[in-house]
Amino acid sequence: MPVEFRKDLFANERDDTLKEIGQPRIRQDILGHVSGRSPYYDDHLFEGLLHMRCVRSPHHHARIRHIDAGAAERMPGVVRVVWPADVPHNINTLLSLINFGRDDEALLQPSRVTYIGEPVLAIIAKTEREAREAAAAVRVDWEPLPHVLDVEEALKPDAPTVNGEYPNNTFDYHDLYDHQKLRFGDVEKGFREADHIVEGEYRMSPIEQAPIETCGAIAAPETNDRYVCHTATQGLFFSLAVTAKLLDIASSRLHFIGGTVGGGFGGKVDSITEPMAVLGARLTGQPVKFMWDREEEMQVGAPRGAELWRIKDGVARDGRILARQFTGFFDSGAYTRLSSYAVVKGTGHLPGPYTIPNVASNVYCVFTNRTPATAMRGFGITGVDFAIECQMDKVAEAAGLDPIELRILNAYRDGDMKAHRREAKNCALIECCQVAADKARWPLSPQSRAASSMTEGGVGWRAEIPETVTDQVGRIGERRRQALPSEPGAGAAATGRVAAGMRRDDRSVELPPQVADMAKEQERTGYSGKVDLPDHAAPASVQPAPATPVQRPAAPLPTQPPPPPPPPAGTAPSLPPAAQQRADDPEAAEQARRRAASRFISGTRRRR
Amino acid sequence: MTLTVETYGTLAEANAARRGDSRYLAGGTLVMRDLNYAVPGLSRVLRVSNPPRAIRQQGERLSMDAGVTMADVIESREAAFLAPVARSVGGPAVRNMATVGGNLFAAHPYGDFTAALLALDGEVQFVDGRTQPMEAFLAERDRAPLVASITMRMPRTGEFRFRKVARVKPKGVSVMSIAAWLPGAPMRVSQVRIAFGAMGPTPLRARAAEQVLEGKVLDASGIERALSVATQGLAPVDDALASAWYRNEVAPVHLRRLLLDEEPEP
Repeated sequence: MPVEFRKDLFANERDDTLKEIGQPRIRQDILGHVSGRSPYYDDHLFEGLLHMRCVRSPHHHARIRHIDAGAAERMPGVVRVVWPADVPHNINTLLSLINFGRDDEALLQPSRVTYIGEPVLAIIAKTEREAREAAAAVRVDWEPLPHVLDVEEALKPDAPTVNGEYPNNTFDYHDLYDHQKLRFGDVEKGFREADHIVEGEYRMSPIEQAPIETCGAIAAPETNDRYVCHTATQGLFFSLAVTAKLLDIASSRLHFIGGTVGGGFGGKVDSITEPMAVLGARLTGQPVKFMWDREEEMQVGAPRGAELWRIKDGVARDGRILARQFTGFFDSGAYTRLSSYAVVKGTGHLPGPYTIPNVASNVYCVFTNRTPATAMRGFGITGVDFAIECQMDKVAEAAGLDPIELRILNAYRDGDMKAHRREAKNCALIECCQVAADKARWPLSPQSRAASSMTEGGVGWRAEIPETVTDQVGRIGERRRQALPSEPGAGAAATGRVAAGMRRDDRSVELPPQVADMAKEQERTGYSGKVDLPDHAAPASVQPAPATPVQRPAAPLPTQPPPPPPPPAGTAPSLPPAAQQRADDPEAAEQARRRAASRFISGTRRRR
Repeated sequence: MTLTVETYGTLAEANAARRGDSRYLAGGTLVMRDLNYAVPGLSRVLRVSNPPRAIRQQGERLSMDAGVTMADVIESREAAFLAPVARSVGGPAVRNMATVGGNLFAAHPYGDFTAALLALDGEVQFVDGRTQPMEAFLAERDRAPLVASITMRMPRTGEFRFRKVARVKPKGVSVMSIAAWLPGAPMRVSQVRIAFGAMGPTPLRARAAEQVLEGKVLDASGIERALSVATQGLAPVDDALASAWYRNEVAPVHLRRLLLDEEPEP
């Protein structure tokens, strides 16, 4: 049977003849690379260029008692010592640019360091060597504090707090839970009906992107009170907006010039070198280069974060997966950077490209005293995909099935309902498996060979959102007071059920939100129609599908009956708001000193 | 601190100018890194304008000036047995600069060439004319004066074997290297010398394995005991490339492949 490829999605956008493999092709940038003419940020020469180096923490976790930079300041060639107080708005979180998460990271840390290599001070000198020698001459009186390097240790009630903004060592999801929930159907029922239970644990180490060109930027004063910045960033306007916010400067005064990125792979979006270089130029009035050396790139350059996944599958005798449960941990390191987003993205990917009627997951974004993690090639997906596909092999072994046939049997087909309540479209896993098997001369059964992504999908249960079991375990701060199991549904004090809901045919109908945090925020979505608030008794209105999945809780939208009543008072988490918890933190004084939000979060938007 | 570069006419003069704040720069593959990173306490760089770099045969031994580069070794007819060792060091740019003398002082996990010299009964000649066997030199190399030249035994064909185990090929840093001088191979061997690189702070000899190989034929049964004592006397450490545990586990595997002269992994 001829294989049908699904190319219609991009039919008008590219010539998709798929004849490139094995053909000699010239990369568009290769001529510049081999002739040495590709311009990198460090190729820009400036008269009187100054060099900036950081004084960094040698500890995983320590309080700064005192810093003596007197000797360093007097050393030859030193132009300026840069203190945390020199940073106009010394607090940021990368995704504040899309209003996700709270500011948690200082450009230069004033009071408490939470990972090895965290910068506390910078030296600007005439030569790189002088900057290095002066940085080495700075005396810091450290008070080492207990640290935590393991995601599960960090969740224990007595674990040291890593990130003062998130005192529970977990990112707060939807102002409600310490993890991202996904509930679809009833996994316990699926496990009861299964013939095999297959469990697996999968761990991924951090991976450094290791670009040949280390991160860096050169900034210089320009005419008309502007600053020019040559940078290796992967996200030029992202870096520009971050710089504008941290330095409290209008983005119209920043002239950012990118160019060749000497290897990025996600490791050049964190926008640290650009604000540092511009700050240096602003403080000295001279051109300043801030460039990480190789050791810094390896030690403080944010890697792909470590992940830990536990998967439990309930499998029928014929290989059909009836229930799949995930418990996932993203090691964010000491600060949020982009890991909070990776968790949401990863959750939207569960349970992998397979149609499974019962799915539940708890995924945690955990703060530890490790180097902050960031983007790297498909982050949020790559790790859990590794786990899922290892698990599929394990399931095949347990069920005594061929691993490719198992995948074809369980694969998404067009029209199937995915666990995050979107219809599967343009599915092609079955066809990929068939082609891969053919290429490897791997025998397939006639049924597997005859299978197609375009048939048998979206029929009956495959198209429907099942009755779904919910729970309210793991509210923000709850885990801080008592040890709680981390897997979905475990330790549930109150469990609810959400009736089987929307068929795919009426997926465009959105019900009014029952609780306030489900209400659409017009400011975020740009939606200008009617907004249903909880006290509205209005009938369902037809609305366009939301365009911001990041902001959207993956928890099911309850229909009937209304959500279960709050648990009784003893167990009811009447939680102190995060801000109140933070008041006990020794950094409170420092935070109180912070200026009000920057006027210049980006060139076009103001912060609320 | 200002950095000064002092150029001398001879190694002896450079040696006389050495103090705690100075380093002798030969090829620069180690010293330049420290200079670029402004390692504290290093403010004087000593060099010699045209250091000798001759390779000479002296009876059963071969002599090399300390300034001989890895590229020189690869090109030399007399030192052909060491060409595979020199080729395992760095990439072409590094081999053009890196010297035999510098390799003697390369800290773990570098120093694969020195492991070969240790296996070949190397002897170090200092600028003051004193000589010292390689093993004694390595034990106290931090206090050594400048090295003028090195001599080593020239093995007969098939008597010298070298393996470098690296995770990245062809330019990776050693998980370990093994050099073996096997007089008599492939028949009964005698007076065997085996040296491991990256299995301790300096290249180290596997004396226990050497002893039990005396008079043995290099086949599976002949080397069995040597493999069981292969790691005696070695002192591997954990580093970014491999743990000490892993190094100890795989050392006998790689030694077996070397002694049986199995094809190295691609």
